[in-house]
Amino acid sequence: MSAGAGLRPWFETYLAAFNRADFPAFGDYYADDVIFHGQAAQLTGRATVLDFYHMVRSHLIERVELLSFVGAPDGLRIAAELRTTLIALRDWPDMPTGPMRAGDTRLRVSFAMYDIADGRFTRIRTAGFAPPRDSAA
Amino acid sequence: MTPEARFRAYLDAFNTGDWDGLREYYAPDVRLVIGNGTELTGRDAIMGFYSKVKLQTRRTIEILQCFAEGKTLAAEIESEFLAITDVPDFAPRPMAKGDRYYLNSFVFYDFEGAHYTRIRAATFRREFRPAAGS
Repeated sequence: MSAGAGLRPWFETYLAAFNRADFPAFGDYYADDVIFHGQAAQLTGRATVLDFYHMVRSHLIERVELLSFVGAPDGLRIAAELRTTLIALRDWPDMPTGPMRAGDTRLRVSFAMYDIADGRFTRIRTAGFAPPRDSAA
Repeated sequence: MTPEARFRAYLDAFNTGDWDGLREYYAPDVRLVIGNGTELTGRDAIMGFYSKVKLQTRRTIEILQCFAEGKTLAAEIESEFLAITDVPDFAPRPMAKGDRYYLNSFVFYDFEGAHYTRIRAATFRREFRPAAGS
């Protein structure tokens, strides 16, 4: 991964791996001790983050679309606007960001900040931009 | 001037209360969408909004990081709101004089030339600190 101009395609490759639930591929973007401050969880470590996503994907389909991207010239930071679509595969009453029933869809837009070192994310933080929009099955 | 330098000058104007200078950073039809759902369009709307906030709180903004690519600047900022009077209707929560409220936000600033055309902010973290003794 090169600094600056190469950051966006590198990030888009990450999102593509995430969206097809290719855990080894997108997990390779996380540093061993990555810090994850998401809206649904606060986690530390690649294994913990991947365990979390395994659990999430057992309940729902998650797709993330890149709306805006700003890469730092030093190649060490990314700011992204992301639209996430969640489709519940089964009832999930304890879903961290609010209960979902099988077939429900939830849309949300978030701003995310990524810190990068040695070609891996060391910290990921997200903030909700727009309130989630739910559509019942 | 780089986008980052312009942004620092913009917030210097904000923090020092240079409202005439601040206004010049905005495009006439600038759109501002902030984390609490407030949407404002136009310089006058934004300046009017800030003027009201200024009557109730002293807001100081610190840049934690900023960087730009193309025509967008991304920033992480921390805003301190110090209540200079009781503010029962302060948007995040009621404030008493002397209370402080902190917002850490991720913000995108779209720009054309020297003007911000669209500003969008999402709140990452909030912290309320009551006045000492309250």
